[in-house]
Amino acid sequence: MRGPIANGAILLAGMFVFLKFILPLLTAPLPASLIYLYLALTLSGIMIFGTMSASSLENLMGPIFRFLSGKGQSGIGQMARLAVLVLFPLLVGWQTYTRLAPSDLPPSENRTIHPAPPGEFVGLANPYQNNEANINMGKGLYAAYCSPCHGANYDGKGTAAPGFNPPPANFSDPGTIAQLQESYLFWRIKKGGVGLPVEGMPWKSAMPRWEVELPDEFIWKIIMGEYDGAHQSPRTWEEEE
Amino acid sequence: MLNRLRFLSTIIFVGVFGILGFSIGFASDPPPADEVGTSVSVRMYQVEGALPVDDPNAAQWETIPGSEFNLAPQVHWPERIQEVTVKSVKVKGLHNGQDLAILLEYADPTEDPKDAAAVEFMVGDKKAHFAHGQEMLQVEGGPVNIWFWKKEHDKTLDMSAKGFKTLTTQEKQDVKATGAWANGSWKVVFTRALKTEDEQDVQIEPGEWRSVAFAFWDGAVVDGLVKEKGSQKAVSSWWSIRAEPSADNSIFGWVILGLALAAGFEFVVIRKLRKGQSA
Repeated sequence: MRGPIANGAILLAGMFVFLKFILPLLTAPLPASLIYLYLALTLSGIMIFGTMSASSLENLMGPIFRFLSGKGQSGIGQMARLAVLVLFPLLVGWQTYTRLAPSDLPPSENRTIHPAPPGEFVGLANPYQNNEANINMGKGLYAAYCSPCHGANYDGKGTAAPGFNPPPANFSDPGTIAQLQESYLFWRIKKGGVGLPVEGMPWKSAMPRWEVELPDEFIWKIIMGEYDGAHQSPRTWEEEE
Repeated sequence: MLNRLRFLSTIIFVGVFGILGFSIGFASDPPPADEVGTSVSVRMYQVEGALPVDDPNAAQWETIPGSEFNLAPQVHWPERIQEVTVKSVKVKGLHNGQDLAILLEYADPTEDPKDAAAVEFMVGDKKAHFAHGQEMLQVEGGPVNIWFWKKEHDKTLDMSAKGFKTLTTQEKQDVKATGAWANGSWKVVFTRALKTEDEQDVQIEPGEWRSVAFAFWDGAVVDGLVKEKGSQKAVSSWWSIRAEPSADNSIFGWVILGLALAAGFEFVVIRKLRKGQSA
């Protein structure tokens, strides 16, 4: 018959295997810190269950207490206890070292890729008709002004792209312009990288401030050409409701 | 009695699981992949004695690893350029607590008088746009310090900028540079004191991160015109640079403290357990 310690260990191990190996088959892999959090919650459950009554507490903790106190131990038991008592401080020491050791990695920066636009750009509608002539004009402008970075195939792989950090947006990725409204693109093209708020880290962006060089008409038509060329549709309010 | 046992069991589990969690869990996440497939920072290694500031080919440079950054044609503002000669740069750094030396190594098939290289730094606490600290619309930016070298006469300039058309040569010139070309490749060494009296200069404090960017011009003459000049150049984004700090021995004090606390924790827990069992 298994004791509560073995049951708890099996439950924890099973939970770990599930979170680490089985769940990623259905969705994205979990970060290690999240796995740790779930395992800690599982352990808390085991602890609460095991300490509900005096007898369950004895079943769960008795063997552990006797092991740690070392009374009446001999042979393998004694060696194992010694090993645990020596390893635990070493583990703490090693943890202290790895946390404090100087790192060669610069502090990480969490850049917001699509920060909120300024109010005056929210909800603007494209004033130009979505017809073939306008789309083709937009595509021609895109080829001239945007494709060196964002790529002739709208995939963010232009000839200049490999040098930039952050990299140019890949419009064919459903996570970029398909998630945005046309007014958002209008803001990003018109004001460029320097128009971003602080969380967008404007100092790193090579996106030109096109309002200096292109009229609004060109920008709206480029947006049409971009969506058409990348086979994406702008996000609209209707779809959200 | 029951409560004390509960308390002890909880203490043991929380302690052990906390330590194991940090060791196993957090240590096992791989570092995020680089976005553009190159380095993210330059490490200026600390050495004793003189730096190889006059000789880009000095053997000392071969003893340290470098970082590599991709470059892009400058397409951010006019006059743009669509195709540039220098595609990437390898960067190495040294310092001796007083001075620093930065070696830039890059492929350029021809040696031309107008060939040039530059290193740019953010100055002060405010973020500066990598394009000459140009104005940002929602963020108040700071200035940049640009170290410029041109093959012609080994001309070196210590410059400042805060926005387009504000690039000026500083009154106080603190930077020296020299370049050597061989077999289709430039090696250029920039040197300066880690710290200067000039508030327009970047101040390098060992152990602290600074932002750095690079630019290169291929001065080859094609059809009577210099191929790359002015804003027509190869550029990098901002990356990080740091002068290696002196070895910090206090870390071992903390490790010993950690060991002692863990051992003390064990001692207290076991003593309580033994008391409980004999009671």
